[in-house]
Amino acid sequence: MNESVARRKNSTQRNYSKTDNGLMSFAVGAIKDKGGLFAKGAFDLKLFIFLAVALVFGLVMLYSASYPDGYSAAGDPAYYFKKQLTGVIIGAVLMIMISKINYKMFMEIGGIGGSLVSMGLLVLVLVMGENEDGSSIKRWMRIGPIEFQPSDIAKLTLILTLSYVLYILHPYVVSKKPLRWTAAQKINALVGKPVLNESAIAVFICAVIILAYVGLVLIGSHLSGAIIMMGIAVVVLYTGEVRLTWFALGIVCCIIAFAFAYFTGIIKPYQIQRILSFVGDNEDPLGADWQTNQALYAIGSGGFFGKGLGQSIQKYDYVPEPQNDMIYSIIVEELGFVGGVAIIILFALIIWRGTVIGINSTTRYGAMVAFGITFKLAMQVALNIGVATDFIPNTGITLPFFSYGRTALVVNLIEMGVLLSISRSSRIRKD
Amino acid sequence: MAINQADMKRNSLTAKRGVILLCVFLAVLLIALVGRLGFLTIVKGEEYRVKAENQQYNASTVASSRGAIYDSNMNVIAQTASVWLIYVNPSKVTDKNREDVIRGLVDILGVDEESLRKNIAERSSYGYYRIKSEVEYNEKTEIMTYAREKKITDVIFNDPDTKRYYPDGTLASTVIGFTGSDGYGLNGLEYYYDDALTGVDGKIYTLQDGNSNDLENGKEVYYEPVNGENHVLTLNNEIQTILRSACLTALKENGAENVYGVVMNTKTGAVLGMCNVPDYDSNDPFTIADAATLERIEAIIDEEEKDKAISEARYSQWKNKAVADYYYPGSVYKVFLVAGAMEEGVINENTSYTCHGTISVGDRTVKDYNPIGHGAETPLTLLVNSCNTFSVYVGQQMGIELFYKYFDAFGFTEKTGVDLPGETTPVPGVTYHSPDVSFTNSNLVSVSFGQSNQVTPMQIATAVSAIGNGGKLMTPYIVKKTVDDIGNTINETVPQVKRQVVSESTAKTVASYMEEVVKRGTGANAYVAGYHVAGKTGTSEKTGVEEIKYIASFAGFAPCDDPEITVVIIIDAPSGAVYSGGDIAAPVAGEVFEKVLPYLGVEPSYTESELAKLSEPAPELVGMSVSAAKSELAGTQHSVRVIGNGDTVVSQSPEAGRTTPSNGVIVLYTEENIPEETAQVPDFSGMTVSQANQLAVSRGFNIKISGSSFSSSSVIAYKQEYSEGTELEIGSSITVYFRTSGISD
Repeated sequence: MNESVARRKNSTQRNYSKTDNGLMSFAVGAIKDKGGLFAKGAFDLKLFIFLAVALVFGLVMLYSASYPDGYSAAGDPAYYFKKQLTGVIIGAVLMIMISKINYKMFMEIGGIGGSLVSMGLLVLVLVMGENEDGSSIKRWMRIGPIEFQPSDIAKLTLILTLSYVLYILHPYVVSKKPLRWTAAQKINALVGKPVLNESAIAVFICAVIILAYVGLVLIGSHLSGAIIMMGIAVVVLYTGEVRLTWFALGIVCCIIAFAFAYFTGIIKPYQIQRILSFVGDNEDPLGADWQTNQALYAIGSGGFFGKGLGQSIQKYDYVPEPQNDMIYSIIVEELGFVGGVAIIILFALIIWRGTVIGINSTTRYGAMVAFGITFKLAMQVALNIGVATDFIPNTGITLPFFSYGRTALVVNLIEMGVLLSISRSSRIRKD
Repeated sequence: MAINQADMKRNSLTAKRGVILLCVFLAVLLIALVGRLGFLTIVKGEEYRVKAENQQYNASTVASSRGAIYDSNMNVIAQTASVWLIYVNPSKVTDKNREDVIRGLVDILGVDEESLRKNIAERSSYGYYRIKSEVEYNEKTEIMTYAREKKITDVIFNDPDTKRYYPDGTLASTVIGFTGSDGYGLNGLEYYYDDALTGVDGKIYTLQDGNSNDLENGKEVYYEPVNGENHVLTLNNEIQTILRSACLTALKENGAENVYGVVMNTKTGAVLGMCNVPDYDSNDPFTIADAATLERIEAIIDEEEKDKAISEARYSQWKNKAVADYYYPGSVYKVFLVAGAMEEGVINENTSYTCHGTISVGDRTVKDYNPIGHGAETPLTLLVNSCNTFSVYVGQQMGIELFYKYFDAFGFTEKTGVDLPGETTPVPGVTYHSPDVSFTNSNLVSVSFGQSNQVTPMQIATAVSAIGNGGKLMTPYIVKKTVDDIGNTINETVPQVKRQVVSESTAKTVASYMEEVVKRGTGANAYVAGYHVAGKTGTSEKTGVEEIKYIASFAGFAPCDDPEITVVIIIDAPSGAVYSGGDIAAPVAGEVFEKVLPYLGVEPSYTESELAKLSEPAPELVGMSVSAAKSELAGTQHSVRVIGNGDTVVSQSPEAGRTTPSNGVIVLYTEENIPEETAQVPDFSGMTVSQANQLAVSRGFNIKISGSSFSSSSVIAYKQEYSEGTELEIGSSITVYFRTSGISD
């Protein structure tokens, strides 16, 4: 026992020394160098319990919410429940398996390989993607029996890629050494300060990656996906110690670019509107209003304690596809304010564990990945509930672990598996 | 090693630095969401719940059944019955079932075959084609049974509906009104009491999904319908029949435009009968019922004009003019003039006035219809002669204020308040002169004999009743009570005294004058022996019309000392040469009194002179043919019985010249050797005069009335000539002895 602990310590330390020895090591990081294929130590039990509760709770509510649609779609009230259940089983198995894997194994595979696959899928979906209503929005694709949104996968690979790049380029990120290029030197001389230092290289690479992801998703008219990706990027960059001035510069660049396009007449007001309506998910404002109103009726009907499990009426063809985006409103109708708050608290607890795991991660890479995953989840929850409660416009974001959708569920659980894997080496109390 | 530690430290620090900010942001976001959720579920919860339920629950109506309308004897005047609407689904008509469908509809429902074939063929892509509405139960059952037998229940359907029936739709149509196709009252009492008659529809709230399908095991909320209240009227079918037929006769005989009649309980104000002719059939209100009007409309060529005329004629026939129309009361108003003047002491019973045929007031000279004048008069003869000059004199003596005081007090400046729709509201300065608006001394002249101030027939009926009712003005009413489905009374109308207009003694005096008017004055044609009719006639000129038109009227009550009914008859624009109230309105009223009072069981109390007239010698009929004898007797009140098969009267009983009660029986024998028919003498004891006479006549006997006093109606038989059971030849006279009963000591 003591021996194994000592060995683990040793290997961990060796891992750090190897990986941090220099920039060159990143390309040839051997499994051994990273501390072995499998993660050691116990995972965060609290997080695991919260996730288990969320999955069971989610399945129960999905069964209730999808009951009428399942019946009318397939003659089987449990139709969606059964499909979701397979997703939960597959996702849970993957989660536990991944939690056993040393997360550092994902550095290259996730960071480079993942992004290549994601980019490929995002391009592919624009070409051969499907949509249900014949609109221009193409975000679903089918491979064999599996139907999925590439953007769900892309969000994870964006986290992994940015974390990986920032991790590798960390010395540059924090470097204040001026760039040696003539042009850069001139600018620095002009400003009187070394504004163009080595961190610009890292930021530029990150910006290219982010723009590639967000651009592809936006072309697919998936605004909500783009928003979440931007959010993820900000969080990962922020935890990756990118200086705040770069964020400020990013915002200023965005505004300038937009203002330039606007005032030079490259884009006109009506085009903005058209772009917004094209890019936006709200392709059917009336339909969206209907959906939002029905969700509000459901939530209002719930009152403080709700109508009781299974007692929702709004799920009977009032709230469209009640098992999807608007499942939260059905949950509140059945379980009331109390149930609604319980779900918020449950997610708050998961986010809390994710944050704790990230803060206490033994590597910056782990911290960045943990924060990325955690805040991605937080953003999804906030956006979904915000939409259901008519706090923000309809965006089409599902509620993790509750909404129907097996790809999203499996991807979410894979993310949680990564988080659990990071937790094994985090310096936290695991009980 | 050092680097490792530094990395770990830095990572931890930087992570914390960044994360705190993000955590705060997230915490704020989540708290905001909880707040938003609380706002939606708790603050706005009720609003959204109601909105949700409004869309989730489908309300279907369970129609309440409309209340029936009964006359005072619970005879049905209006009731709602179930009927059915038959419709087909033309899209389900196939070549195979077409003939079955068409045969059934044509043979059972009597639909026109040709147009049915055409319509079904044209609508072959539609799901609904209405075949026939208001199909009765038997017909509906027959067609649906047929549909089942022929297996075409997917083609022929029925929907329940209701229909309003009026067993005698013409009897009181302008009072009862009618309902529209939606079942709601459009006119008359059907309109006035529509809410109470309609009741409250029941509702079934069924939980439905977003596609309007009922949810299985969905909650259902059921609110039972409250059926409409049944309305029992004070209106009496018998009295109404008598009144209407009298009015119709008057309309025809006088070529009048309209005849209005009101029969009212003098003491309570209950309306027993009310009619406006020409009227219509409540079962078919849109058809112009008056033949003359219809003929006039048919003659119009211009379609637009024609439609307008039809529409006007409809509104006219629907209008209850007895409450909605104004007219000049003419001399009838003198009753109220005299009553007011006597009440105020302006005149008394002995006030004398000499009528010279004219009277001058200011620069205005009024001529009486009697150019030489009535000579010396008292208030009694003012009314008996219907003297205009004396009336103008009394009006001048009263002055504007006093005159108006009684015009107002008798209810002519307000609605009577009868529970009927469309009663007009008098307007000062327009329909009548008020001291505040337009009352001048010159007007006072005209209004004194009933011109210039307009009133409604209903106002006259209530005001005249006040004279008969000891000076008490009543609020008239027509709904006696409302009852629920099982006969429990919901509301009962209590007669309302509006006010004491004049003292009882003044009222009695004026009433006795009115009796004299009928006995020996202008109202003589309303005289009915034994019933002490009191009344006043009036003839007024219509204004605002091209040619001179008159309104003849009579208003009165009977019996004078204890009135049961008030009768007002108004004949609007008679076209004949005879147009005075006394000539044409009084006899109509007389007929109504004569028939209604016995119906109400009011005992006639004959005066000695009346009694003398009641008996007369039997006419000589022997030798006449049977038909000639019958026509001879047709002018009298005698009943006739013919015994034998011959053509000629060979003998008669009573014999010619023998004193016989004028409403007795005369037996005619047409064969020589026929045995005399006999009958058993009945027991008359305890009967009133008219009861005894009726019984005697029914057995073929005549009675001879004997007794000391006949002035009171409370006389009953106590003795008879032949004892009960005696066999007696029919036609014989039996002396029956009467005496006053119930003498108070």
